[in-house]
Amino acid sequence: MLTQKMKKAITDNPKKLANLIDLVNLPSTLRDFVGQSQISRLGCFKFVWSYIKTNKLQDPNNKNVVNCDEKLKSILLGKQQVELVELPALIKLHFPKQQK
Amino acid sequence: MGKIPRSLRSAIPSTSFIKKAPSIPTEIPNPQQQQQPHYFPKKPSKRNSQLSKKPQETQTPQPHRSPFKTPSLNEAKKLFNSFISTTKSLQMDGLRLHNSFLKSYTSISTLDDSISLLNHMIKSLPSLSPDRSTYHVLLSQSCKEPDSSLSSAQKVLNLMVNNGFEPNQVTVDVAVRSLCSVGKVEDAVLLVKEFSSKHSKPDTFTYNFLVKCLCKSRILNNVYSFIDEMKNSFDINPDLVTYTILIDNVCNAKNIREADRLVGVLKECGLKPDAFVYNTIMKGYCMLNKGIEAVRIYKQMKEEGVEPDLVTYNTLIFGLSKCGRVIEAKKFLKVMVESGQFPDAVTYTSLMNGMCREGDVLGAMALLGEMELEGCSPNSCTYNTLLHGFCKGRMLNKGIELYELMKKGGMQLEAASYATFVRALCREGRVAEAYEVFDYAVESKSLTDVAAYTTLESTLKWLKKAREQGLAVYCWWEISTRFHWPTKKHQTEYKPLMATNGGFGETRRAMAA
Repeated sequence: MLTQKMKKAITDNPKKLANLIDLVNLPSTLRDFVGQSQISRLGCFKFVWSYIKTNKLQDPNNKNVVNCDEKLKSILLGKQQVELVELPALIKLHFPKQQK
Repeated sequence: MGKIPRSLRSAIPSTSFIKKAPSIPTEIPNPQQQQQPHYFPKKPSKRNSQLSKKPQETQTPQPHRSPFKTPSLNEAKKLFNSFISTTKSLQMDGLRLHNSFLKSYTSISTLDDSISLLNHMIKSLPSLSPDRSTYHVLLSQSCKEPDSSLSSAQKVLNLMVNNGFEPNQVTVDVAVRSLCSVGKVEDAVLLVKEFSSKHSKPDTFTYNFLVKCLCKSRILNNVYSFIDEMKNSFDINPDLVTYTILIDNVCNAKNIREADRLVGVLKECGLKPDAFVYNTIMKGYCMLNKGIEAVRIYKQMKEEGVEPDLVTYNTLIFGLSKCGRVIEAKKFLKVMVESGQFPDAVTYTSLMNGMCREGDVLGAMALLGEMELEGCSPNSCTYNTLLHGFCKGRMLNKGIELYELMKKGGMQLEAASYATFVRALCREGRVAEAYEVFDYAVESKSLTDVAAYTTLESTLKWLKKAREQGLAVYCWWEISTRFHWPTKKHQTEYKPLMATNGGFGETRRAMAA
C-alpha cells in the first residue's frame, strides 16, 4: 500500500523528488561546512541535523531552538539562534530552483 | 555471485577449500573423511530427480559462496579436474553432487559454456551419466538468458531429447517457473502450448501458476482467451484454484460484478465454491467499503454449508470496521469465539482501527488489554493503529508513551501513523521531538529517507504558515482533528466556507447541522 502511494507520488511529481535527492554543486560556504563538493538537499539536511546533535547545539532550556556556533552560523544567514521549525526552509535557500 | 549448493557445501565444510580450490588442487585438506557420509549412490539420486519439482529450490536454499570466481570455462574445467582427482579413490560419482557443481557454474556463466562444461564432465568422468535433473539445471538457466527468443531453451530441450530424455511435466514446470521469474510470461505461454501439443500437458500446478502470472501482466480478456484456448485445444479445464485466482484478480481491480459472474460460471462447471472463494469475494467488497455486502456473502456461505474460517472472520471484522460499523464488528468477534475460532492480532487490530475511527481510543486500549489476556500478542501494526488513534484523538501524551514502547521493541512506524504523530508533536510545539521521531523512522528503516523527510518538511512548513497567519489555518487543523479522519465532504464543502467566512464557529455550526 505504502509503496503504491510512494510510486504514485513519484510519478505524479518527479521534479519534486528530483530536487530533493539530486546531487548539486555547492557554493563555497556550504562546501567548507559539508566537506564535499556535491550533496543533495536531503543529504545536506541530515548532515546539518546530525552536526547539531553531535555538537549539542540545541538550547538546553528550549530544545526547539538551536544556538549556532560559528561554523553553523556561516551557512544559516549568520543567525545567532535558529528555530528547528525553519531549518528545512533555511537549507532550501542554498538549493535554488534550477532554471531549464 | 552464484550459490554453492547444499550438497556441495555439506561435502566441503572447510572454507579454505573454497578459497583456494580454483588455483591449486594439491592444497585440498583431506576431504575424504568429511565426504564419506555425504556419498550419494545412484539409486536415490534418480528417485530424487523424479520427485524434485523445482531443483533450484531444493538444492540452494541459502546464498553461499560459490566455488567459482570467474565465468571462465578453463578455470571451471580445471576445478572439476581437481575435484575428481581428489575424489576418484572414493568413486564419487554422486549425480546430485555433480548437478550442484554444474548449477553453481551455470548461475554465473553463459549457457554455451555450461554445456561445454557438462560435456567435459562426461568426458573426463565416464561413470557420470547425466539424468533428467541435470538437463533441468541447464534448462532453468537457459530460460533466464536475456535474449528474447526461446532458442536457447530449444537448444537444451533438443540436447535432452538427443540424450534420451523425453520432456515431462517436471520439465514444463521448471521452464515455466524460470521464464516467469524473469518476466517472460509470453514465452512461457508459447512454450506451454508447444509442450501440450508435442510432449506432455502441464499439470494443474504449472497451469495455475501460469494463470496467476498472466493475471499480473495481461488484461483480463487475454487471460480468458488463454484459458479458453487451453480448454478447447488441449482439454485442460480450469479448476477451483484457477477460478479463485481469477476472482482475486478481478476483486483487486475492484470489478465485483465480474467476480459474481465468475462464481456463476464456476457453479455451472460443477465446482462447489469453498471458503477461499468466498473469502476472496468478501475481501473485494471490503476494499470497496461495502461491509454489508460482506455480511451477505457470509450468510450465503453459511447457507451453502461452507464453514467460515479465521480469514473469513478477519475479513468481515476488517470490512465492518472500515465502513464504520464497529458494533456489528464486535458482534462478529463474539460469534467467532463461539464458533471455536481463535481471534489473532489481525482481528483485534482491525477492530481497534474501527474503534479509533470512531474516536474511541480508550476502548481500543481496553481491547489491547483484553487481547493480551487472551494470550494474543500485539504486533507492530496494532501499535501503529493505536498511535494513530491517540494522535487523532488528541491524547498526545499517551501517544508518546506508546511510541517509547514501540521504540524499545524496535518496531517500525507506518507512514500514516508517523505523519500523524509528527504533526501532533509539531502542533504542540514539540518540534525537537518531531525531529527525533524523524531520526527513529529513518534509523529503523520504517520509511525511506525521502518519505520521512517530505512529511517532516511539509509539516514544519505548515506550522510556520500557521504561526504567521494565526487563526485561519489553525482552525482547519482543529476541525480535521476533532472530526476524526476528515472525509471528502469536509474538504470540499467546509474548507471554502471557512475561507470565505473566516470563522471557525460558522463552519462548526454548518458541520453540526
